[in-house]
Amino acid sequence: MRAGLALAICALVIAILSWLSLTNAPDEVALLASLETPLPKIAPAPGFTLTSQDGSQVSLADFRGKVVAVSFIYTRCTATCPVLTPMLSMVQRQLGSDFGRKIIFISVTLDAERDTPKVLKLYARAYGADPRGWAFLTGSPPVIQDITRRYGVFALKKESGEVNHSSLTSIVDQDGFLRVQYFGVRFDPGEFRRDLLSLVKEH
Amino acid sequence: MAQFALRRRRFLAGLSAAAGASLIGRPQAVARDGRLETTSIRIAKIAGICVAPQYVADELLRAEGFTDIRYVAADAGAPAARALVRGDIDFTANFSPPLIIPIDAGEPITILAGEHVGCFELFAREGIRSIPDLKGRTVGVQGLGSSQYTFLSGMAAYVGLDPAKDIRWVTSSSPKPMELFADGKIDAFLGFPPEPQELRARGIGHVIFNSTTDRPWSQYFCCMLAGHRDFVRGNPVATKRFLRAIIKATDLCVTQPEWVARKIVDAGFTPRYDYALSTLKEIPYARWQDYDSEDTVRFYSLRLREAGFIKATPTKILAEGTDWRFVNELRRELKG
Repeated sequence: MRAGLALAICALVIAILSWLSLTNAPDEVALLASLETPLPKIAPAPGFTLTSQDGSQVSLADFRGKVVAVSFIYTRCTATCPVLTPMLSMVQRQLGSDFGRKIIFISVTLDAERDTPKVLKLYARAYGADPRGWAFLTGSPPVIQDITRRYGVFALKKESGEVNHSSLTSIVDQDGFLRVQYFGVRFDPGEFRRDLLSLVKEH
Repeated sequence: MAQFALRRRRFLAGLSAAAGASLIGRPQAVARDGRLETTSIRIAKIAGICVAPQYVADELLRAEGFTDIRYVAADAGAPAARALVRGDIDFTANFSPPLIIPIDAGEPITILAGEHVGCFELFAREGIRSIPDLKGRTVGVQGLGSSQYTFLSGMAAYVGLDPAKDIRWVTSSSPKPMELFADGKIDAFLGFPPEPQELRARGIGHVIFNSTTDRPWSQYFCCMLAGHRDFVRGNPVATKRFLRAIIKATDLCVTQPEWVARKIVDAGFTPRYDYALSTLKEIPYARWQDYDSEDTVRFYSLRLREAGFIKATPTKILAEGTDWRFVNELRRELKG
């Protein structure tokens, strides 16, 4: 049975490769997505409770039953955040009615001293973030530091107020499991969107 | 076009994974995120810039649960591999040939993942334009057995030279080969960061080969991460977490090169900030997903075999000295 399945897969692979060599297919990644196995369950996602741009308390656990993308930014960032947040904003629009209903974005600030709820609200508005599905969170610096550490994000605030940080966007499934992390800001937003939707379909 | 090639490479890697998964069913994690078997790790401290990720991974390693992180001094290349074999260290980043040679000898090294491509540059004096031009010329290396010697021998054999007969090797640990080249006493010199940066700054010689950009060498990893076989077998969760922290640290080299350069200078890994920064910007750390670790070991095993450094076939080296399960899992967990 397995050998038969393997043969069928091999035949499919050969057929796709032949087709690719003839056509220079522009979006072969989409084909791959249909062959991929489910995203691995890495570990339970680190939980947190922080303050949103509206001043309310928000916990990761509040979103159980939804797929959540957790990213780390700060509003005065001039390096990677001005690339990441618009990219997420674009994906937000592409998700249509699933956004907010089935998929949530959370952006945690790395500059808790300056990124108050009011500042985060202005930032969210500037990037067209839909408040029904996108929470911008702040909290006390030690709490933020603990969350970044547990998500494997490096962040170090300099005297100038600038924050040296890595960019890591984590996707958490409906059951609260960390399923995949995206490095940097140059990742494929299409693949990111497909991963979000693949997790929505799991339930 | 290059972007298309990279996407196709990832696509093919993904297809292989998908086909493999169909053969074995749903993949079983080699190291589910269970309890760490040990919170102590020892990592080689090598005076090189390109292995910066392991020097800035401290906080990330702590986030993975390691509490006792020790850096053990070792020279790059064969000495670091020997330290691994002796069990003085648990992990090292190293150029693949110095890892493959002891694996051929049956030593307990397990190569786990590629880290980055690059970063050797072959400097030559005027009149030498390519590797075949090295025939009959003097080339400086620190010792017969050094990474530079094995790498250049492999390159020479690849273009049809007999490295033992056709190249006049000049071994010298003091003065260093770079100084011999700078003084005009040898014809060519294979540099490793920060040496190429220094030679360029001083306007000495010209580059006839750069492993970051010149095919086929630029198509394979340079430094790879390896562990002591017993540690890897006995501590799969710790091994995977170590790899995850180092891979995340490579992203720091991409996004925060200035901070990384300052950190490795302040920590004494390399003396000059400007050379460290230019090295970090030249090495394409962000493209670790685009290269194939197994292909790298196969390629270098063939080159080492051609040059007479090893007897085993690439298949045997791969079977006895590599374990890609950890990095294959991480490729699915860490994208970008």
